[in-house]
Amino acid sequence: MFLRFVGQSIRRAPRRKAMAIGAVALGSAVATAMLGAMLDVGDRVNQELRSLGANLLVTPKSASLPVEIGGIRYQLAAKDEFIPEAQVPKIKSIFWQLNVTAIAPSLEAQTKIDGRNVPVAGVWFSRNFRLPAGNSIMTGLRSLNSTWKVDGRWIDDREPDVRAADCMLGASLAARLGLQSGSTLRLFGETFHVAGILSTGGDEEDRVFVRLEVLQRLTGRGGQVDAVHVGALTKPEDAFARKDPAKMLPAEYERWNCTPYITSIAHQIDEVLPMAVARPIRRVSDNEGRVLTRVRGLMLLIALAALATAALTVWSVMATTVLERRYEIAVMQATGAGSGLIAALLGAEIVMQGALGGLLGAIAGAQLSGAVSQTVFGIRGQTPALLIPLVVAVAIAVSLAGAAQPLRQALALEPAVILREGA
Amino acid sequence: MFWRFVFGAVRFRRRRLLLAFFGLAVAATLATALFSVYSDIERKMRREFRGYGANLIIAPAPNSQTVPLQAVEEAEHLGASAAPFIYTVGRIGEERIVVAGVDFRRAGPLTSYWKVDGASAAEEGECLAGSVLAAHFRVGQGQKLALGSGPCVVRGIVTTGGDEDNRLMVPFEQAAADAGLHNAASMVEVRADGRKLEEIRASLVRALPGSDVRVLHAVAETEASVVLKIKSVVWLLALVIFAITTLCVTGNFSALVIERSKEVGILKAIGAAESKIAALFLSESLVLAVISTFAGYVAGLAVAYGIGRKIFSDNAQLSGIGVNFAVFGPVMAVTLLVAAVATLLPVSRIWRIEPAIILRGE
Repeated sequence: MFLRFVGQSIRRAPRRKAMAIGAVALGSAVATAMLGAMLDVGDRVNQELRSLGANLLVTPKSASLPVEIGGIRYQLAAKDEFIPEAQVPKIKSIFWQLNVTAIAPSLEAQTKIDGRNVPVAGVWFSRNFRLPAGNSIMTGLRSLNSTWKVDGRWIDDREPDVRAADCMLGASLAARLGLQSGSTLRLFGETFHVAGILSTGGDEEDRVFVRLEVLQRLTGRGGQVDAVHVGALTKPEDAFARKDPAKMLPAEYERWNCTPYITSIAHQIDEVLPMAVARPIRRVSDNEGRVLTRVRGLMLLIALAALATAALTVWSVMATTVLERRYEIAVMQATGAGSGLIAALLGAEIVMQGALGGLLGAIAGAQLSGAVSQTVFGIRGQTPALLIPLVVAVAIAVSLAGAAQPLRQALALEPAVILREGA
Repeated sequence: MFWRFVFGAVRFRRRRLLLAFFGLAVAATLATALFSVYSDIERKMRREFRGYGANLIIAPAPNSQTVPLQAVEEAEHLGASAAPFIYTVGRIGEERIVVAGVDFRRAGPLTSYWKVDGASAAEEGECLAGSVLAAHFRVGQGQKLALGSGPCVVRGIVTTGGDEDNRLMVPFEQAAADAGLHNAASMVEVRADGRKLEEIRASLVRALPGSDVRVLHAVAETEASVVLKIKSVVWLLALVIFAITTLCVTGNFSALVIERSKEVGILKAIGAAESKIAALFLSESLVLAVISTFAGYVAGLAVAYGIGRKIFSDNAQLSGIGVNFAVFGPVMAVTLLVAAVATLLPVSRIWRIEPAIILRGE
């Protein structure tokens, strides 16, 4: 009987029900789209910000102080201070390995060209890097610095080749030496041909870049690396992140270690590479955090504003639906239905409308936020699966809340008054 | 007569109209808030990127070692912040170190990412030590370093994670005197407004033919791409919200028209033209839209102010955070448009209503 009542009510006035469901669906769509975008945009911007280059620099623990200006060393580094190249993959084995997006080891040397000291860097340009887990990624200077411009082509060093005779030149150095891509030059007594000219704006423009294994051979430093530049996705630092890990309680330390703060990632790299020290590059990491906090805050507030209005809309629509049915309620009361029964009847209808509308809206909203992400960032955003049931639940709750007050009012009034008025 | 009809309808059907009014006011509120945020977002996001420091570097030309100090004035003249730096090799005891000459007053805005324990500027006879250098020589704040060219008192310890950690920062004039440089620097860092970067670079290249003016691609391009993407996201979300609000308001208005089928039937029966009735409905909603705009505009400004304050307040001047009064025009336009679209869609029913059938009964 109860179910027939509810079913009949929906069948009898399909247009009115469809409109209520539609309103709930539209509200839920706004809510889901905004929440989806809010959760997604922060991550996407974090990835965009990786184009700033490394935010961690790993160098050997050193007893001496590097005396270096623009890549030229004015004092030779101690021979026994280096990171073994074989240990570099360990950076990709830390707890936050998935957050480490790029690794670029380098070896530094200098040579004389036309009587002037020129810094030479041995690097991975884009190395096919086999992870300890078995799969492989392409990483190196190129994936770390996506904004660098190349006139000519990047060196393809997927597999190591000790005999390769190609190099890349910084634009400023190339201008000084009068070389273009395709020219040749002599380094350490061997002839190299210039594959491409790099424009970065920074002091990399005064360097020669060759393959890491080639510079190791030329300088007799096989298997050695002077620095590793690391790009990592991090969580903006808060007050907790700046605490000294040595003074933390065990539970605090665990929480700190299990959050991808730049400092905790550095700490984990220190642990796997005992001969080295990892330091956050503040210029990149601090600002990254600041920009991200702003973007997340902005999205959150826009989402809240939209959520509040969506909830108000659903609320008001549901309130009117009940108001419009005061006459019906009065008839039921007059024929002897108890307040509880009437509330249950209308409540069941409203829950159904809220659930259906919420579900339709949530699915549409998820599509919308995915489409926004696709248009702007070129990657289809994944709406968390939990969001849809959550939105449906909220939609039902808001619908019920909107209906509650007018329903109570209608039930409190004498049926005779409403019936005489003709609603 | 026409207007009496319009206002009479507003008075008689209060509840329905209240709902329609509410929907439109929500649209106007969102429009005001989103337009205000959108109109200002580029400036605000770019300001956040100032923390990255220089986006232009003026380096010596290929055949020279220094940049003329005139470069700093040129850049400042163009409205950018600029600071000269000198790098030389000095000595502490037997050890060689890198000494950086920094114009602390000018470098302030470019080095906001430096983490400094102690004073962030050094006067004559004072210096700031990089954290690695300070640890290496075991000096702390207030202690003296026996720098070869004249001892200095360490006023602060600098941590950046970059080259500065290994260096000793002294006042620019002192480094220039020690290096024997007159009116010249090793390089000049420039922070230009991201929107005018290319323009400023071109002017600097023209003004300083003897120097190499470079854009720091990593900073400049990341800034440009992130700002553009945030703008597009806000814009697209605004479109989504407007589309959905329009649909919602359309729902309200079609209910209005359906409920008044009888009234339309009577009007048609006594000889009113369909277009006249449609105009009646349209003017009703437009009157409603105008009132909603005012209500929504006030509410929206409050929301925009809240958003601006909450997110961008800590480094903004307090005047006009997030609030842009010029958005009133566009908000009015959008609200009227939403109301018009929402009315015109259901109003097509007027032509289909047969007075005889409607008036006979349900």
